[in-house]
Amino acid sequence: MKFLLALALVASGAIVSGPLFAHHGNASYDSAKTVTVKGTVTDYIWANPHVFLEIDAKDNSGNKVHWTIEAQNPLSQTEVGWTKNTFKPGDEVTVEIIPAKNGQPFGRFGVAGPTAGLATQKSLIVINGKQFKP
Amino acid sequence: MSKRWAVLLLTLFAVLTFSPILRLQTAAQQAAGDGASKWNNIAPRKSTYAPKKSSPAPRRDLSGIWDAAGLDGGFQVNGAAEHPALLPQKGGSAEAGLESGAGAEGGRPDEAGIEHPLPYTPLGLAALKANKPSGPGVRQVPAALSNDPLDQCDPMGFPRMELFELRTFELVQTANQVIYLNQWYGNWRTIWTDGRELPKDPDPRWNGYSVGKWVDDYTFVVETVGMNPRSWLDHAGRPHSDALRVEERFHRVDHDNMELTVKIDDPKMYTQPWLGINKFPLHLLPSDFDMPELLCSPIDMAEYNRRISNSVLPSTPKK
Repeated sequence: MKFLLALALVASGAIVSGPLFAHHGNASYDSAKTVTVKGTVTDYIWANPHVFLEIDAKDNSGNKVHWTIEAQNPLSQTEVGWTKNTFKPGDEVTVEIIPAKNGQPFGRFGVAGPTAGLATQKSLIVINGKQFKP
Repeated sequence: MSKRWAVLLLTLFAVLTFSPILRLQTAAQQAAGDGASKWNNIAPRKSTYAPKKSSPAPRRDLSGIWDAAGLDGGFQVNGAAEHPALLPQKGGSAEAGLESGAGAEGGRPDEAGIEHPLPYTPLGLAALKANKPSGPGVRQVPAALSNDPLDQCDPMGFPRMELFELRTFELVQTANQVIYLNQWYGNWRTIWTDGRELPKDPDPRWNGYSVGKWVDDYTFVVETVGMNPRSWLDHAGRPHSDALRVEERFHRVDHDNMELTVKIDDPKMYTQPWLGINKFPLHLLPSDFDMPELLCSPIDMAEYNRRISNSVLPSTPKK
């Protein structure tokens, strides 16, 4: 079975439905887009100010692309069901993320809510074949 | 054959019916601080307090662990809740690059057009423009270009601890003090209740100098002076000077509910006083609620800036 790449650019206007719950605004990210990244976790940092995930993925030509994807702080991530053990190096993951505007392999996990401050996990996350549902 | 289908259907029905309840139970246990986990509790949603009938408020007593967020609020990421640095809500879904109601990225030097503008003096407006916030709002800049003291792990300060990330905090009452223990970035402040006067021309403190008194059996009023002008008032970068006086009104509504009002009075920066939060609802948590720790580590912050902040700037060249 060929392990094919992963990078699909899907234009979606629906990922954020209200004022963004975040300490950092979305100035650097294109919140109108989602990108699906599929690959292997190399690092999972559970720390302030942001929890983040490092993934070795592949581009359309099969070249390795290393992605860095940030979430919120550990407290906020706990509120949407993440723990320090949610990911570990070696996990095969598929994640939907909001990409950086500058086209570099950086992104953030989408959060949204009907009112300011209500965080819900909007991004699709699949870990080792199972969809993450806290 | 039909028996097997019946078993399958029953199993499916049971799984679908009971799994949400099991999940709710776990969340409730976590929230209540009993059962599954005594540590790192998550505050219950604000809506769980609504139908609960509470007993009467104790007299002259604020003590306990209080929560403002409960997954529903208290974060104030757009600035003080009474004055969010947001453009009026546009109807419908997000426009390209712009969340509905959120500001354009770095596009505005001032807060023209926000729904509840603040009454800046010329000095206040100049001080506002010098502050570059990374949080969502009309004046936001990419995180790497921000000069928010918090982005370098400088102290949160007061009153920012109540006008940004007002989540969970504990109040301890002694014979001559009320001690405020704040979860977000783990700071504490002392409110003296021994009748002393506020200091004149004190050395600036990030958390200020506070005295408090009961104006009736259920309302505790605190005055604070001497706050370090390096701190921001809120996450939108509102400034303050050394002339700032803050008044807090803690009103104990009943046993489980309290309202907090914070008044900002800084004649150097604002032409009149304004409320940062107004009767903001606070809910009493169980006495065994374990507040998760969230401290700011300069080393972790520098690592974040190295790995991410600097890499998502528009000018970062492709490797």
